[in-house]
Amino acid sequence: MKKIPDKDILLFKSCLVNVEYPGVESSTKFLFDKLGIEYITSEKQSCCTGLGHYADLFDQFSTSALAARNFGIAREEGHKNLATLCATCYAILKKSANILNKKDDVRNRINKIFEDSNIPDLTYNAEDMDSRDNIFHVAEILFNKAGEIEDLVEIDLSGFRVASHHACHYCKVHHNDTIGNVRDPMVIETLARACGVEIVEWYDRKTSTCGNGFRQRYMNKELSFLVTSEKLISLKENKVDILLHMCPNCQLQFDRNQKVIGESLEVEFNIVCLNISQFLALALGADPYRVVGVQTHTVPVEPVLDKIKQINSCFEV
Amino acid sequence: MKTLKIGENTLQLAKIIINNLKASEDLGILKCIQCGMCTSICPAARHTDYDPRKIVKRALDNDESLILDDIIWNCFYCYTCHSVCPVNNSACEINQIIRQKAIDEGKGKSKVAPFSAYGDSFLEFGLGAIPNNFFDDLVKDYGKEWLELKVSLEDIREELGLGHILLPKKEINDINEILKRSGFKKRLEIIRRGGG
Repeated sequence: MKKIPDKDILLFKSCLVNVEYPGVESSTKFLFDKLGIEYITSEKQSCCTGLGHYADLFDQFSTSALAARNFGIAREEGHKNLATLCATCYAILKKSANILNKKDDVRNRINKIFEDSNIPDLTYNAEDMDSRDNIFHVAEILFNKAGEIEDLVEIDLSGFRVASHHACHYCKVHHNDTIGNVRDPMVIETLARACGVEIVEWYDRKTSTCGNGFRQRYMNKELSFLVTSEKLISLKENKVDILLHMCPNCQLQFDRNQKVIGESLEVEFNIVCLNISQFLALALGADPYRVVGVQTHTVPVEPVLDKIKQINSCFEV
Repeated sequence: MKTLKIGENTLQLAKIIINNLKASEDLGILKCIQCGMCTSICPAARHTDYDPRKIVKRALDNDESLILDDIIWNCFYCYTCHSVCPVNNSACEINQIIRQKAIDEGKGKSKVAPFSAYGDSFLEFGLGAIPNNFFDDLVKDYGKEWLELKVSLEDIREELGLGHILLPKKEINDINEILKRSGFKKRLEIIRRGGG
């Protein structure tokens, strides 16, 4: 089991969280503050190249050069443990760290670019950043505090049936670094269980991709939706109320497209999509609109909030 | 069955793949025994003619027609094949490298050109964004509330206690310098032009 930090953390912002589900970031900050996890964010941090990289627009060298710049910023800010909100950032940054550490010619070429660009402070030295010891997903930082989370739960969520969607780019890309079994990682389940909720341990297509597939959602929509609908149907068969995510790409796929997929199949899904940080923040008493950010969701979260209100007299919206 | 000529470099394509920056250090392409684990769990293989086992076979057979074959554009990059391969091969990584070759050699540019606006956003803001040429289609599927969200985003972020998302100008300049010298700016223009 890898060693998970709780300090010197740079919370690595995500482009999709920024504009689609900003409540994922505010929920994470709420949890980090409650749990005494020491972290910063940096306005200098750029995106990882995510969609651009996996839509084949960005080349690996440019993506790695931008990662080296972000690593330099983390170092300069004295917070060299990265915690990503998005699984794509996690996979891309780890890959780049491995390249920068192992490929001398690539590292030297990137350092020459920094020198020529008059930003020599960003120079990357081999092993400055370790893929396994310095780069984490936020869910892992929280997983490490599951026991403390259990003690802090204020809201009873036990009336809901939840299931997990562990993002492919967390589980599968760097599978030797994935917590738990890569074929059925239980990171989200462990965290949800800390809130006393009922979990669907296994369902058909549990480890399948969300179907977004980067270019597929935009250029090959029919194929993309076929894959997404298989999972939605399985979740419906298992009577799932809430699907828990750890990646904004997946959350976008299941939340924003759910209605149009449902119409084509003549099925009403109504499966609420929450990032695990949003779910935990709700359990720890965070305000749904001022912290959790449910107002940016497409599948309405209000039915879940109403049910919480019925069970918890202290819960106010 | 293809007849091999003595002295022919039959592993040329495999070697190009192994030496590509995208290939994991210990990529097991030469150890592939065609067991088909990759195909058995591939979402694209379940619904289309895309077959990761065949992709690897054709790469090992030095079949360069693979580069021009539209089938490579069906991979989801979900890495499921990569995570279950018993010899640490990765059809997903191989596919990514083949697509880069397709871009370099012409045909792939038009496939990637629709994502050019992502590059523009990155150069302008240092941030990724869903290319705006897809917005009309997305609004149809997501509903008009999604557009309303775009309009009220700043207010919502403020309500959530989050700051603005923009990077300081100096940082954006640095990013532009890096991406000019890395070759990305030129690549972006070539891809955009190749899109016709």
